[in-house]
Order: sequence, then structure tokens, then C-alpha cells
Amino acid sequence: MDYDAIVIGAGHAGIEASLALARLGKKTLMITQNLDAIGRLSCNPAVGGLAKGNIVREIDALGGEMAHLIDHTMIQYRVLNKRRGPAVQAPRAQADKFSYHRLAKETLENQQNLYIFQDTVVDIVIDAKSSSITAVKTERGHEISAPVVVLTTGTFMEGKIFIGDYMAVSGRLGEPAAIGLGTALRKKGFSVDRLKTGTPARVRGSSIDFSKMELQMGDENMLPFSFDYDQINRPSLPCYIAFTNENTHRIITDNIHRSPLYSGQIVGKGPRYCPSIEDKVVRFPDRERHQIFVEPEGIGTQEYYLNGLSSSLPEDVQRDYIHSIPGLEEAQIMRPAYAVEYDYLDPTDLFPSLESKIVSNLFIAGQTNGTSGYEEAGCQGLIAGINAARKLENEKPLILDRTEAYTGVLIDDLVTKGTKEPYRMFTSRAEYRLNLRHDSADQRLTPYAYSIGLQSQKAMDRLSRKVEQIDMVKTLLDTRKIGKKPISALLKQADTTLDTVADEVPELKSFDKSVLYQVELDIKYSGYIQRQERQVQRHLKMEKIVIPSDFDYDALDGLSSEAVEKFKAIRPKSLGQAGRISGVRNSDMAVLMVVLSKSDKVNNGSKKADTDN
Amino acid sequence: MNTLYYQSDDIIYALATPFQPSALAIIRVSGSGCKKRLSTGFTRADALISSPSHTLVYGKLFDIDTKEHIDEVVLSVFDEKRGYTGEESVEITCHGSLYGIETIFSLLKKLGMRSAQPGEFTFRAFRNGKVDLTQAEAVMEIVHSHSSRGHSLALHRLEGDLYRQMETLKGQVLDAMSSIEVQLDYAEDDFSDEILFPYDLIEKTLESVDSLIETYSVGRMYKDGAKIVIAGSTNAGKSTLFNLLMKSERSIVSDIHGTTRDFIEGEGVIGSVPVVLYDTAGLRSSSDLIEAEGIRRSRNLMMSAHVIILLVDADDDLSQLQEHKELLEDPRCIVVYNKCDIAQKAVSPDVISISAKKGEGFARLERAVIEKIKKDMSADRGDSLIIESARQRDELVRARTALSNSIRMAQEEIPLDLIAVEVQEALDALGTLTGEVTSADILENIFSGFCVGK
Repeated sequence: MDYDAIVIGAGHAGIEASLALARLGKKTLMITQNLDAIGRLSCNPAVGGLAKGNIVREIDALGGEMAHLIDHTMIQYRVLNKRRGPAVQAPRAQADKFSYHRLAKETLENQQNLYIFQDTVVDIVIDAKSSSITAVKTERGHEISAPVVVLTTGTFMEGKIFIGDYMAVSGRLGEPAAIGLGTALRKKGFSVDRLKTGTPARVRGSSIDFSKMELQMGDENMLPFSFDYDQINRPSLPCYIAFTNENTHRIITDNIHRSPLYSGQIVGKGPRYCPSIEDKVVRFPDRERHQIFVEPEGIGTQEYYLNGLSSSLPEDVQRDYIHSIPGLEEAQIMRPAYAVEYDYLDPTDLFPSLESKIVSNLFIAGQTNGTSGYEEAGCQGLIAGINAARKLENEKPLILDRTEAYTGVLIDDLVTKGTKEPYRMFTSRAEYRLNLRHDSADQRLTPYAYSIGLQSQKAMDRLSRKVEQIDMVKTLLDTRKIGKKPISALLKQADTTLDTVADEVPELKSFDKSVLYQVELDIKYSGYIQRQERQVQRHLKMEKIVIPSDFDYDALDGLSSEAVEKFKAIRPKSLGQAGRISGVRNSDMAVLMVVLSKSDKVNNGSKKADTDN
Repeated sequence: MNTLYYQSDDIIYALATPFQPSALAIIRVSGSGCKKRLSTGFTRADALISSPSHTLVYGKLFDIDTKEHIDEVVLSVFDEKRGYTGEESVEITCHGSLYGIETIFSLLKKLGMRSAQPGEFTFRAFRNGKVDLTQAEAVMEIVHSHSSRGHSLALHRLEGDLYRQMETLKGQVLDAMSSIEVQLDYAEDDFSDEILFPYDLIEKTLESVDSLIETYSVGRMYKDGAKIVIAGSTNAGKSTLFNLLMKSERSIVSDIHGTTRDFIEGEGVIGSVPVVLYDTAGLRSSSDLIEAEGIRRSRNLMMSAHVIILLVDADDDLSQLQEHKELLEDPRCIVVYNKCDIAQKAVSPDVISISAKKGEGFARLERAVIEKIKKDMSADRGDSLIIESARQRDELVRARTALSNSIRMAQEEIPLDLIAVEVQEALDALGTLTGEVTSADILENIFSGFCVGK
């Protein structure tokens, strides 16, 4: 074998997968079509956001890189949803696109055990006997072998971009698609389908009249995503808000027939949560205006990103409607908006470890699995990399539960339910989101990374210090009283905060702000956290009822034929997962529950007999 | 339920009609292979085995040991997936003598079948996807229901009216949830519309949930019977009236407690409503300690009654009415003049006069009792949608608590992410009754209803 592991792709999933494998001591080859596109932010120049910001911090806690990359390249920082509640608050940062890519490339290049090579993978080699992957074939005729492979192709597998009636075989504007791999995988029995996404136009800053727009500043206090840093020192650039108007909408409606989406050229399904401007205008005809965010793409560039104007309309229409927006009357379009359609693989063909059920030792991550977003891709890449490395060691895969990480929710959703549109994380997808706050990602996940070997003793020490401090502050607030009530009881009132009691407890000043923040939330939310804890326990009980991997559903009376089919396809690991499969009925669960609890008793019985002997 | 039994695929049988003498009775048999098994004790074995689903086979059951004929029966045959349980099943229509039924039972036992556990037929139907949980409960209640009206209420539910009503409520909570979640899933600047908390929607739902919970006592009344208390002074003739009421219909008097108690209780049917009738100790202040205790208990009983019949001796009405002044104000109370046959005074046409001894005026009393019960139960609700199981009531109460919590929290300006926990709880509670709402459903609702995304 040439390498211990091969990672196909150098996007946000590929970066995390490669680094994890190399850091776990595996001789890893990263193959990318273009070294100059490593870690490119293809769409919006920002990292984080609701639920996504939590994922970035989870990646960090698990020993991944995304938080470091954004911390060193951010040009604006904001905590979103401050008014709507701590459980759904999350950090978001504007990124300097060029620096982000450059730092990603530099980090990869500096990584021991990691090899980087520019070529395009067009096929995979499978050992017929074991149906496991053994090598990859490239466009330039190389056949490179490795016992595990991580596939992270993003939008490049059979990618096509559309601008009006212009169509090009590309993964991004101006970058050729990876042709052949999708077709090869189809032939090998993978279930491949099409998805669509889009990106707006970039315009030249010097041609924008910012005085006609609203200013949107970042938070004064910029905080790091990574738990490794206490503070960061980065410049803060403003964003701007512009609005469409009736004229804009008229231009779009008049030309809607020229969109490849409406003419039926694009077959892939787009993300409903992030519709194109033509979608918004058509679906919500009563709205007088839509918001447009004008975001800088970096410090050394004039390019501005028109967030909210993604489109696949022809360029002349784009020009007209952009010019109809106050402040953008004279805007020079540097890159047009376009839609991209690409192959994705049905993620229900994956185990929760992200290993393929069809070809063993092949792990798949990122947009290839039907997700959308840098963060969603990154966390999958990390888990795929970790589990590929563990597979080499014959170790059990790391599978995060829905109760402990958005990453766990995301992967469980993908492999259990699949997706028909680009899957984006939302806080509402997590049943136990009160437990998944971004500030607690290290407590939730760093110990896993440490035991796997992706976090250092230093990180663990820092975590223990944080936990200790949290305990100290809690004890302090439990014992210190104002009047007859302990401060911790007072904090449960809506109008009392740690700031309002600061004078009574001067010792608080010596603790980290992040510690105080967490304690305050823990106390304020304790009733709800406890309540959720009961639900968590119920959930875990179902997760603990394991379904053997060779379980014979056909032999089970009383299951609906639909359920039998689904169970056989998904092969759920637990009763809990079985219950989340769509189309499974209560009656199916009742039957399964009855049978599993019966066999559980039998097993326990025999185990007991063993120990008695 | 007894899952130990439930797990098996045994052929099970049970009497589907009440165990009481009647012209005909039906015994249900269910389980794979039951046709063949039954045919070994049936004179027309081949006809039974070859008969297609939903056909009738006439023949005789015989004792497999003595070959003696047991009964002339008609077998209704259902193939797998076709009948009530979704399994192969046979319904035996036989003669309804208790002895005859018992004899058939012992034959079935001899054939290797076993008597079904309570609810086991329904569990199998549920397991085979033939009924959903709401329907399964309704069926259980048909089995337990005491009267024909109770029966039709249960049938009503099977047809899904309650299901639809709950679906509507769930839809409203889903909409409320979506308008909260959209604010949690999209940052302030992505979703700038100020919705905040959907007070109107939640309050509207809360009202409907409330009135549905109210119907629970009515449902109970049909299942457990309306409580009717006969009150009145000693010697007004309460016991005579009690006995007459118990006999007046073909009522099942399951239990008449002895006189050691302070009141006598019996079950019967008035109109079509099952009733539990109580004959109380005479109501008058007494210095006798034991009697005083009896009176105290009678008063407690009256507190929970649906109807109180105040029996007054027509001869002594003024003083007796004076004695029960507070009852006269009670909307549940019906004043009945007894001994009108021997009474000297003319009785006003507004009150009911009967002769408990001679049984006169009875039809009128029954009508009045039914009127009172109906008034008590309908409480201005035009429809007959009624929740009958404690589980449904409990879930609705859970939804109610959560919804009112959410309103209170919104008023206190507690952040939306916590309020969402309460609304989710309400959604879960309603989902338990009619089918779960997943986060995908919420997102679906958000995407179709709100203009989101940059």
C-alpha cells in the first residue's frame, strides 16, 4: 500500500479528515484538483451562525481545525440571537476569504504525515472478495493504494453551473468539475442523485454607494471560536444592508422564464431555507422588499458578496435588478450569481461512522452526503477522518449521540433519514438543544478527543480548570446570600444577573468571563435543563437497546413490509434509531420492542449463567 | 398489558358478546391456522378450510372425543389481513345459552387454543397496523362500555372525529411552534419580521383544549355511569323509590351493599344512560353520633352526584322543603313528591309527583332524570365529541399546562428558546394522541410559511 489513508478533496470536509488522520499518525495522502482552491469559501464569506457556530466549536473541541482557521482570519464577529435566548445564541464571523484559504493550505503543508497532491480522482478500486476499497484511479492515470479512503467531493462530482441559458461543466465558476467519478460510483451500485445550490454575484466595493445603505457593525468584543485561545486581536469591518424594491421584483418577474430553474434544465432540488431571489419574489409576491447584506470578501480585495441575491437568471437580468437596488445603481459585477447542480450519494447508505455500507473502508463526508455549509462539511470530515483512522486500528468508531452534539444530530439524521434537499443544521433539529450550547462544546467533547488522541494533555488540563472554576463559582453563589436568599436562587429571577450582584461577590472578578457566563446560564436554566435531562435519559434508554447487525427482520411476524424494507436498508444500530426512520409505525416499534426485550432477557440470562459457572 | 402473553402467536378466542343469556352469541377466534384447527371439531371441515374470506359457513361443532354435537353454528371467515386483528380469524355465531358458550370454550381449549388476555385482540390489530392507538383505545371502551349510548360514543371516535379535532389543535400548535422556531433558527437579521410570541394562536388553542378536557367527565359518566343520589328526610320513601328504580329497567344490579353501610348503591340503566344509584341516610340533624356520621357521608356523596332526587313526603312538604333548603337551589336537584296517592293536598304541576308504592309517575321522573344528566353533560356543546380515556385526558392536561406556561413566560419576557420548550411539550402531548410531530415537520412548516434565508 502506498499510504495508510487517502482523502479525496481539500474542502472543509477534506481538510478536517486529512488533518485528523495525519495527526493520529496515519500516512495520509490528500488529493485535490487544485492546490490553489484548498479551503475555499465558495459561497458566503462567513463561518458560524445559528447552530453552525456551535458546530465550529464542536469541531474545535474534537481536535479539528476550523475554529483556528476562522479565529486567525475573521474580519467581523457577532453573537447572533442575543435577544432570543442563550440556547440558540451562536457566534458568526466574516472571514477574509483569501487568508482563510492560505492559512488552511499552510496548516496542511506543515502537518507531519500529510502528503498533498494535485490530480483528479475518476474511479475507485474495490477488492471483489471483501468488497472493500483498495485504491483510487486518477485522471492522469495514477493508481494509488491505501486501505482506507475518505471521499469529500463537495459540488464537484459531475458538477454543472447555470447562469440563464449558459451551462458549464464546473464545480465552481471557472473550475472544472470532477467528471467520471459519479458515473463510476453509479456503476458500482451507489445510489446517486442530484442536488442544487446557488451563490450570489460579487460586486466591486468602489462602485457601491454605501451611504445609501444601513451600516451593520460587528460586536465590539471579538471572541475566539477555539477553546485554545482566550482572546483574539483582529480587525473589524462593517457589513451593509440594502433592500430590494418593487422595481427589482418586476425585473425578476418579467424575466422569470429565462431562469434554468423554471425552464426545467436544473433537476436537482435546491435548499428551501436559502432560496434564490427569484424564488422569494415568486413565492412571496406581497412583500414589498427583501433584505440584502453586502459583505466584504476580505481585506485586500474590492469584492463584495451580495448576500440574499443568489440567482440563476441570465447576467443581463442580474445586472438590471442589482442596479435597481439603492446603493448598487452603479455596481460593477465582478462575478455573476450562478446555480450549481451536482451529484450526491444517498447518506442512508452509510453507517453512523460515515463508512459506506456498500464498499467497506470507504468513508464519505461533506456535501457529497447531501449537506450544505462549511461547518456541516467540516464536522463530517472530522468524524470520517477519526473513524477511518480507528478502522485501521480495529477500534470502535466514534459515534456521537444526538444528546451530546449537533454533529451527532447531523450524522444521525443523514444516515437514518437521508435527505432530499441540501441538509443544513438548524437548532430545531436538535431535541436537546438546551444541552448543546456553544460554550459547553469542550465539556461535551474534548474528553472524547483526548482518549482518541486528537487533544493534548494541555487541552484536558485547561478543561479541568474550567470545570473546577465553574464548580467554585457555583459553590460561591450557593453559599453567599443577599438577605436570606442564596445568590444562586436570586439568579433564577428574570431581572437578576451576575452583573447586578457583582458588588456583593467581588471574588467573581477573578474568574474568566466564559466561566461566569456558563454558570449564569446553568443556574438560570437549571429547571429546564433538569427537565430536559429526564428526556435525555428516556432517549438514551432506547439508544441502549441494541439491534444486532445480523438481525433477521424477515423472520419477524407483525412488522409491516414497508418497515422490514426500511430496517433492512438502514440497519439501525439501536431501537432508538429504528424509531427515527421515517415510515416506521408505532405497531412496528411495538413488535420490535417486544422481540428485542425478549432477546435481551435471554442474553442477560445466559450471561448470568456464564458468570455463575 | 401482559406482554408475556402478547408476544405469542397462539390462536386465541374470546366471547365478543356479553356473557349473559341471549338468543345468539359470538365467539371470536384469531391466529394463523385457526381455520384448520377449528375444522377438526366442525362437521363441514372441507367447506370451512376452502371458504374464502368474508363468507359464512354453516355447520355443527362437535366434541372431538365423544363426537357429540355441541351446537349448530354459523362461522364468519376472515383471511389474514382482512379481519379485525389482521390475522386469519373466525367468528362463531352460536346459541346464547351460558352452558352452550362454556361448552364451546372447552372445545376450543381442547383444540389447542387459549382464551385471550384482556385487550389482546386489539393489541394484535394494533400490531398488524389495523388500528391506531386512538382507535385501539376506543375498541377497549366498546368492550367495557355499559350501555348502548356509550357504545355509540365509542364508535364515533373510531370514525375519527376526535382524531380530526385533535389534529386541528395539533396543527395550531405546530403553527405557533413554527413562528417561534423560525425566530430561533434564523438570526435577527436573516428574519427581520417581528412575530415574537403568537398569543392569539396559543390562546385560541388553549380554549379548545380546555373544552375538550371538560368533556372528560361526561365520557366517564357514560362509562362508569351517572351518579344519582336519592335524598330526603327519613320515611320519605327513599328506599322504596330506590328499589323501584333498580327494577324499572332490565338493569344489571351488580352490587347492592348491605345495610351496615350508610348508603345503599346499585347499578342500572335509565333511558340509555348507565347509572349508579345511591339511597342515602335520611338527612336531618341528629344527636346520635353514628347517625351523624352517616349524614356526613351522605352529604359527601351528594357533592359528587350528577343528579340529586330530593324525595319529599307530599303530606309534610313544607317542613321537609324547609329542611333541605340548600338543595332546592342546586341545579342538579329534582324535587319529587312521594305518596301522592295518599296525600291530601293538590300537588303543583311543576314538581314531579309519584307514588313509589304504586309505581305511578315513574315515566315522568325518568325523563326528568335524563334531562338533568344531559344538561349536566352537554354544557352547551352542540357536538358529541367526548374524550373518554384517562390517557387522553392526561395528555390534554399536559398540553394545557404547557400552553398556559408558555403564555405566562411570554408575558414575563422570558427568552423564546425556553418558551419553545413549553410549546414543544404541548406539541408532544397532542402528538402522542394523533401521531408525532417531527422537527422535519416544523421546518417544512417554516419553509412553506415564512420568507426566510438571505
